[in-house]
Amino acid sequence: MASDGRDGHRGSGWLRRLIGRRDISGPVFLALGIGALFVPLLPGEFWTDVGTEILILGLFAMSFNMIYGFMGQISFGHAAFFGLGAYGTAIMFREFTGGTVEITTAQFFLALLAGPPVAAAGALAVGYFCVRLTGIYFAILTLAFGELAFYVVFSWYGFTGGDDGIQRLLPPPFFRESIVYYYFTLTIVTAAACLMGRIVRSPFGYVLRSMRENKLRTQFLGINVRRYMLVNFTIAGAFAGVAGALWGPFTRSVSPLLLGWQESGIAIFMTLIGGAGYFAGPAVGSIVYTFLQAYVTGFTVYWPLTIGVIILLIVMFAPGGLLGAIDDRLLARLRGGGGGANGETGSSTRGGGES
Amino acid sequence: MARTILEVTNLNKHFGGIYVTQNVNFKMVEGEQSAIIGPNGAGKSTFFNLLTGYHKPDSGRVVFDGHDITGKAPHVIARMGISRAFQVSNIFPRLTVLENVRSAVHSHAGVTMNMFSRADRIGVEETREYLSLCGLSGKPDEIAGRLSQGDKKKLELAIALAGKPKLLFLDEPTAGMSLDETEETMNLVDRLNRELRLTVLFTEHDMSVVFNHANRVVLLHRGEIIIEGSPEQVRDDETVQKIYLGEHQI
Repeated sequence: MASDGRDGHRGSGWLRRLIGRRDISGPVFLALGIGALFVPLLPGEFWTDVGTEILILGLFAMSFNMIYGFMGQISFGHAAFFGLGAYGTAIMFREFTGGTVEITTAQFFLALLAGPPVAAAGALAVGYFCVRLTGIYFAILTLAFGELAFYVVFSWYGFTGGDDGIQRLLPPPFFRESIVYYYFTLTIVTAAACLMGRIVRSPFGYVLRSMRENKLRTQFLGINVRRYMLVNFTIAGAFAGVAGALWGPFTRSVSPLLLGWQESGIAIFMTLIGGAGYFAGPAVGSIVYTFLQAYVTGFTVYWPLTIGVIILLIVMFAPGGLLGAIDDRLLARLRGGGGGANGETGSSTRGGGES
Repeated sequence: MARTILEVTNLNKHFGGIYVTQNVNFKMVEGEQSAIIGPNGAGKSTFFNLLTGYHKPDSGRVVFDGHDITGKAPHVIARMGISRAFQVSNIFPRLTVLENVRSAVHSHAGVTMNMFSRADRIGVEETREYLSLCGLSGKPDEIAGRLSQGDKKKLELAIALAGKPKLLFLDEPTAGMSLDETEETMNLVDRLNRELRLTVLFTEHDMSVVFNHANRVVLLHRGEIIIEGSPEQVRDDETVQKIYLGEHQI
C-alpha cells in the first residue's frame, strides 16, 4: 500500500484495515454474499427472481471483466459464449426430455454441465483469431464473431430452433421453486466467483495485468502474450457458459437474442457501472442494473433511455464506476490522502481497456 | 579462451529507403562488458531491436549461445537468456514496484500458468533481493508509474535482472539519473559483470560512463560499425571525434 494512504487512517481495528485495503473487492463480496442470503426474505417471488437474474448476469459480467478489466481488451461479442452455454444446456434438455417428459435430477445436472464446455470450445475457436489483434481491432473482431454466432443459431432451425429458440426448459420439480433455484444459483455463482478470484490473484492473473499494462514489456519477460490471451479468453468464455447454462432453466427458454450484441452490451454496462478495475465491480453493476431495470420498467417503458442516462453520468462523473467512486472519494478521504488506496494512478487491479 | 556468446553476421535492416543497419558484423564473448556509441539516429536502438526480436532483420544472422535466434519472437529470445532495458523506461505503470519485478521472477521460474496459487506468496524473497540490489528496497509498494525517472530506470534494470539473463542489453541505462544514481547504477552493472560474469552491452550518450565502464567500445554511425576497440583506442580516434563534432561525411 502506498505510504501516503497509510498515515492518515482514522479509526481502529477492522475499520482501519478495511479503509487501507488496496482492493475493496473482498469486503464488498463478503457484504454482498451476506446480503444475498437474505434476498428470499423479501416479500413475493418477484424479488427472488430478480435476485437470481442478478446472480446469473453478475457472473456473466464478471467473466467479461476477465477480458476487459484484467486483460485490457474489450469484447463486444462476449454474449456469444453466454448464449452457447445456454444452448448447450438447452439442447441437452431437449434431448433428454424430447420436449414432453420430465427431466430427472441427474439429467438436469448433466445438461447444466454441457453448457460451459460448449462455450469454452466456442471461445477457443473465436479467440484463436481474435488474440492476434488488440484494441479496437480485437473489439470489432469479437463483435463480428458474436454476430456470426447469433446468425448461425438464428438460422439453424433443425438444431437450435432458429428464431423460436428452445422452450419448456423445466428443471426437475424440486428446482422449480424460485427460492430453491435462487439458492442453487447462489451456490454455483459463489463457487465460480471464488474460482475466478483465485485465478486473478494467481501468477496467471498477474500476467493478465502485465499484458494490460504493457504488452511489449510482458513479451520481453519471456511470455507468449497471444497464448495467455487465448487461455484467458477461453476461461472467460467458460465462465460465461456457466452463467448461460443457469439462464435457460431459470427463464424456461433460450432464444438467439442471448448471443446478440445487445446482450454483450449488458455485460459492458454492468462492468462500467460497478467499476472495471475491481473484481467485484461487475457484481455491483449487475445489482444496480438489474434492480433498476426491474424497478423502472414498472413505471415506464423508457428503460433504454434511463440506462443511457445512468451510463452517461457514470462515464462523466465516476469513470471508475461506483466502486471507483467509493474508493477514490470516500475511502481516500478517510485515509487522509488523495486518490485511492494507491493514489490517482490506481491500484494493480484497475484497468479497463487498452492503456 | 572465453566463449563467444553472441555472433552477428552481415546484419541488414532498412525501413523504406533508409538503411538503419548495414552489414553489421559483431561478436561478444562471455563476461564482456561493451558499449555501443553513436550520435542520435545512428541505429543503436534498432540494433538492439534486431537482436531481441522486436524487428526482423532483412538479412544476416544472429547466433546467441550457439543457437540461431535470427527473426525469433521476443519472448522466445528472452526465454533463451537475453534481457533488455529500454531507452524510455518500459515498466508496468499501474502495478507496484514489487509486482513489476515479481512478474519477471514468476516468468523466469515458469509459474505464470499457475492459476491457483496466490501470486503474492511465490518468489517474494527473491523479488525483494532484486529490489535491494537495484536500490529500490524502500519502495516495494509504490505504484511504478509514480516513481522518478531515475527510479523507473532502476526498476527496469531490476526487471531485466530478475530474468536471470546470460546477456543483458541496456539502452541508455543512466538517462534521467542524477550523477550519484548514475555512479551507483553503473557500479552495480560492473559488479554483476564481474561477479556473475554477466555479459553486458549498453548504449550511452554520457562518454564518461562509456569510457569508465566498458571494456570495449563500438561506434555505430548510420547503421554501420565505423570502429571498435578499447576505450582508449576509440577515444583517441580522429573519426570518432569528427562524427561527434558533426564533421564526418560518408
